[in-house]
Amino acid sequence: MPDKHLSSQFDSELNSVSARVMEMGGLVESQIRQAVYALSQFSLEAVETVASMETRINAMEVEIDQELSSIIARRQPTARDLRLLLAFSKATANLERMGDEANKMARMVRSIIEGGAPRSLPSSDLRVAAELASGQLRKTLDAFARLDVKAAVAILKEDDLIDKEFDGFVRKLITYMMEDPRTISPSLDLLFLAKAIERIGDHSKNVAELIIYLVKGKDVRHTALDEIESAVL
Amino acid sequence: MNATATATASKNALELRNLSFFYGKFQGLRNVSLDIAEHKVTAFIGPSGCGKSTLLRTLNRMYSLYPGQRAEGSISFYGQDILDPKQDINLLRARIGMVFQKPTPFPMSIYDNIAFGVKLYETLSKSEMDDRVEWALSKAALWTEVKDKLHQSGLSLSGGQQQRLCIARSVAVKPSVLLLDEPTSALDPLSTAKIEELIDELKHDYTIAIVTHNMQQAARCSDFTAYMYLGEMIEFGATEQIFFKPERKETEDYITGRFG
Repeated sequence: MPDKHLSSQFDSELNSVSARVMEMGGLVESQIRQAVYALSQFSLEAVETVASMETRINAMEVEIDQELSSIIARRQPTARDLRLLLAFSKATANLERMGDEANKMARMVRSIIEGGAPRSLPSSDLRVAAELASGQLRKTLDAFARLDVKAAVAILKEDDLIDKEFDGFVRKLITYMMEDPRTISPSLDLLFLAKAIERIGDHSKNVAELIIYLVKGKDVRHTALDEIESAVL
Repeated sequence: MNATATATASKNALELRNLSFFYGKFQGLRNVSLDIAEHKVTAFIGPSGCGKSTLLRTLNRMYSLYPGQRAEGSISFYGQDILDPKQDINLLRARIGMVFQKPTPFPMSIYDNIAFGVKLYETLSKSEMDDRVEWALSKAALWTEVKDKLHQSGLSLSGGQQQRLCIARSVAVKPSVLLLDEPTSALDPLSTAKIEELIDELKHDYTIAIVTHNMQQAARCSDFTAYMYLGEMIEFGATEQIFFKPERKETEDYITGRFG
């Protein structure tokens, strides 16, 4: 928050909850990176780490929600303060869902390792999408911290890249499954994995939309990209 | 801000154009232009000394009581210029009633508090007057509380009841506009809630302009909000917009409690 309220206590409450949201975002980001690592190295150890971070993230969501309701009840925030708190509340919900998806990725990796998936399957192709998704979350959190609308719009544009990676990957999996029915079971695991990555991208996009809501007071959900651009840039 | 703020396409009870006000040499209002929509609640907010009460007081020419105070510009009340020196001030104040911050019941019975003003403008029979008193007290949501003690002094009522008595007194002469100058700042939260409820009821029949220091009150009970600062109208718009995404940074700083 660049400028100050008359009540410094209010400022410190807002600063504290902002810091918590960013901390939660950082935690989810590193959880996703662990999941990507687990996938690329087929590391059971990384799978365990992802699962253990999940508990911490869930607890943070609950704690942040409590802080938010307490601020709303006691301060009756208006205008940008109100939008900030609403945006935090929705952002933490999205972050928590991203954590769930990272956990799902880890579970699929475990299933692939334990099922002894054939090396021939194109699991390494997923790394591109996974790195895109985790990079997108980092950029989103960065834009959120700086209230950068331009960067938020750029993130919305990038979500298409992940979606395209996903579609391409699904097509590829289908050809593997058609060639060799024994690959169907591990291919389905990979498919769920790919879907989890794609969902992480969607949640980042939701958070990016919240940045625009917060700064511009415009709700740009379910709005075409070019409309958003002309409305807020 | 010279641009005229137009709140809505609906009919306006009052249209202010380039209104300036002077306390002797001191200018209290600077070129204020805005419309007060009929049967809506328009709230004026801003820090102390911003001119919001001054503005309210020009609307029924309360300032005419004091020499050295003058207004420039125009205030059209359904087409008639309030600032016209030929304007009959007593008639004007019957059409545009006012309620003040502190309850100001007359030192007479509850009944007479209501009947007093009515007698100045109308000649009613005893039963007609009884009906009018009941009607006004009912409008002000006070009737059930006082109907058995109409001949007790108005000063025997609680602060919240006294304020509602003052509203009933204003309503009794059937004005078209009610000006409320911080009507609840001396009241407890329950009485405040009753007055706010009343404002919501009254707007079906009256146009209401309210000055309040309580921003949440403006947010709760007004349709339009004007933010004033140092005698100027900084921003005017639908209340929802002012409290969710004001256009001007000054407005946002004020309503979110930041340093200006």
